[in-house]
Amino acid sequence: MTSFQRLQPPIFPVNAGINIPAELISLSNGMPLFLIKAGTEDVMRIEFVFRAGIVYETIALVATSTNMMLSEGSVNYSAEELNSILDYYGIFLNFSAEKDTAGLTIYFLNKYIEKVLELMNEILFHPAFSDRDLDTLLKKRLSWYRINKEKVQNLATDNYFESVFGSNHPYGRQVQESDFEVIKSSFLREFHKKYYNPEGMTVIVSGKIPEKTIGLFERYFGELHLEKTSSTDSAVPIKGSFEKKKFIEKKGALQTSVRIGSATINKRHPDYPGLKILNVILGGYFGSRLMKNIREEKGFTYGIHSSVSSLNLSGFKIISTEVGKKYTKKTADEIYKEIRLLQTLPVPKDELDVVRNYMSGEMVRMFDGPFALAESFKSVWEFGLDNNYFLNFINKIRTITSDEIIRLAQLYYNIDDLYEITAG
Amino acid sequence: MIQFNSFSLKNGLKVIVHEDRSSPLVAMNILYDVGSKDDDPVMTGMAHLFEHLMYCGSVNIPEYDLPLQMAGGENNAFTNNDITNYYLTIPSENIETGFWLESDRMLQPDFSRNKLDIQKKVVIEEFKQRYLNQPYGDVMLLLRPNAYRVHPYRWPTIGMETSHLESIGLRNVRNFFLSHYAPDNAILTLSGNITAEKGYNLSEKWFGPITGRVTARRRLPEEPPQSEERKLTVERNVPSDSLYKAWHIGPRLSEDFHTLDLLTDLLAGGESGRLYNRLVREKNLFTEINAYITSEIEPGLVILNGKLLKGTDMAKAENAVNEVIEELKNSPVTENELEKVKNKFESSTVLSNTSILNKAMNLSFCELLGNADLLNSEVENYRSVNRKMVTESAGKYFNPENCTTLYYLSAPKN
Repeated sequence: MTSFQRLQPPIFPVNAGINIPAELISLSNGMPLFLIKAGTEDVMRIEFVFRAGIVYETIALVATSTNMMLSEGSVNYSAEELNSILDYYGIFLNFSAEKDTAGLTIYFLNKYIEKVLELMNEILFHPAFSDRDLDTLLKKRLSWYRINKEKVQNLATDNYFESVFGSNHPYGRQVQESDFEVIKSSFLREFHKKYYNPEGMTVIVSGKIPEKTIGLFERYFGELHLEKTSSTDSAVPIKGSFEKKKFIEKKGALQTSVRIGSATINKRHPDYPGLKILNVILGGYFGSRLMKNIREEKGFTYGIHSSVSSLNLSGFKIISTEVGKKYTKKTADEIYKEIRLLQTLPVPKDELDVVRNYMSGEMVRMFDGPFALAESFKSVWEFGLDNNYFLNFINKIRTITSDEIIRLAQLYYNIDDLYEITAG
Repeated sequence: MIQFNSFSLKNGLKVIVHEDRSSPLVAMNILYDVGSKDDDPVMTGMAHLFEHLMYCGSVNIPEYDLPLQMAGGENNAFTNNDITNYYLTIPSENIETGFWLESDRMLQPDFSRNKLDIQKKVVIEEFKQRYLNQPYGDVMLLLRPNAYRVHPYRWPTIGMETSHLESIGLRNVRNFFLSHYAPDNAILTLSGNITAEKGYNLSEKWFGPITGRVTARRRLPEEPPQSEERKLTVERNVPSDSLYKAWHIGPRLSEDFHTLDLLTDLLAGGESGRLYNRLVREKNLFTEINAYITSEIEPGLVILNGKLLKGTDMAKAENAVNEVIEELKNSPVTENELEKVKNKFESSTVLSNTSILNKAMNLSFCELLGNADLLNSEVENYRSVNRKMVTESAGKYFNPENCTTLYYLSAPKN
């Protein structure tokens, strides 16, 4: 018997189908509704997006608390009743208040669509903001806050944002314990009135969308009065700290949390796709240089990652890891060493090919199924971009050269500009 | 209804294929019937460490990740008390790369002292990051050995202590592989853009030649019934006091599993559970409170945990919890309340099954329980629970002598 030769099967080029079938519908009052029809199961995801993120708050905690209070009682239901009804219809709700946008994403079975939309109107536009429920929320949040202050990860991340964007800008401002005493329900009402305005809402619907959906949206949202309000961007300029290195001591910690990075370009900049590719090589996937060096060769950490993210007014790059305390200095040195290598030596063809293919596979995953499509859609719509962003991106994945990577590494990873925050 | 085909290879490997043409990807899941319950009690953490070693190359492939990334794939794995589960998603045109990779490491992983030493360091850092250097991170290291005295569920998957991991040598690792990693101890599930025929042919081609090796029969010590209340108090540098309770329940396949799952949802599902309404919203004793079943294959636990509002007296808080529990034992729940948790379960099941990867994992796990088709009857099983069953189960399990309580107190600052 001849033994079976375990030879590597051929690898075929991966072609991501870059197309988001988003159809724009306007309700009779002008409210925009994006429909992404896909999927085989009778389920839907609806995301309600507002320009109501942290950047719009003048008092810390207001944007996030307003968002979290939406389901804590309304004009017609107490908090207990409302949560009971939401659970009764099997609705999964994710509230989120990010740096720029805020809103609500729900997942549910199609058979409940009518009830769901009725409840969403109630939650989004008629919240009660009662003092009792706000008090409960703030107590819970203060408890989380105190626990987070015990974690080196959070200490390092909070201080990273403060250093990069400045302690006065909402992108960088750190919440203080005293902030919890200041918040009043009237602040939330005011913020809600201004930023959770039907005029500023965008709805992204995805899934196996039943025919009657638009009619039901018309019924529950089409008659809302859209009042033109202007949201004001933060008047505070973004201004990073002069000090590039900061250490936050945490007594008794067994590990040190390391954050290295700085502000950078965002999705609207033509270099952004290239910068994302550079980031993947450095620390954006399991086979990245940082992961190989710091985890797989040295065993200093359970994981090390780098990422590049976009904000409306800026962008940021960050390398994050938690390492055994005695490895802190060595880890930072190795991170800078890896950056310098990318600035001076061309990335070998084999490595670049792996990254090209890995990222092409990622693109396939980003467009697989209705919910992934909806997320990808939002990620460009938010920046005023469209499908062309993805087409440019996939083109860049296929064509980027090692020379361009050197140029990007020199331009965007100037080591003197990077902040190094450690907590432990 | 999730349609699938299943077959067994001669070497004992079970294969399940679920075709879903709406995805351009295939999810490939390999479940090995080995978990931390199979760890040697003096060398706990082995099953999980072994999962790490499975990524260190195999007999014909020096590096696992590289070719997978080259083929546009992505993978991960997890270990729990019962199973070690490896999964990947890959564009369907390159699925054969997945077969090549997974079969090679089932055949023979590449162990070297250097790689073992590095992964031991990585896992010890993981131990610190997730359990030791995290507020409340050591709860399971305290609660489990008190709830279980002899059964291997008495240690968490990461292990009892880092010294156990340090003591693991190459020979231990090789023996562990020989005892647990074999085709007849694994379930392979493919879900997504692949036909049953192709799934079968590729399985036969790549996994068929691996010799079946009857793995050792599992003999776990049985946990004797608990007969008196167990209590434990610790002080740690955490901001607020926390209360943990664990009650013993039956195995995953016991009749009242679904009832108990719904019961914990009644208590703490979402923000409309009884505990949250009573103890957080109304009485302001806790800032958050949760309850769940561990869903383990062997006799498991219902675990309740609550963070006390600063300044709340522990005895008062515990009494209030006990009152909610007593009420569940003594008066029937309303039809509406029961319907609510059933609806929520149905919704979460349907939503979970929109992902090819979840379907692959769920089918594998149901097959391990005895039959992949269990996945299709789960909603019905939950629907058949009635109010009487809820009251009876509460009465049967929620008794002080069946309970271990951990008072996790905030140490006074000096």
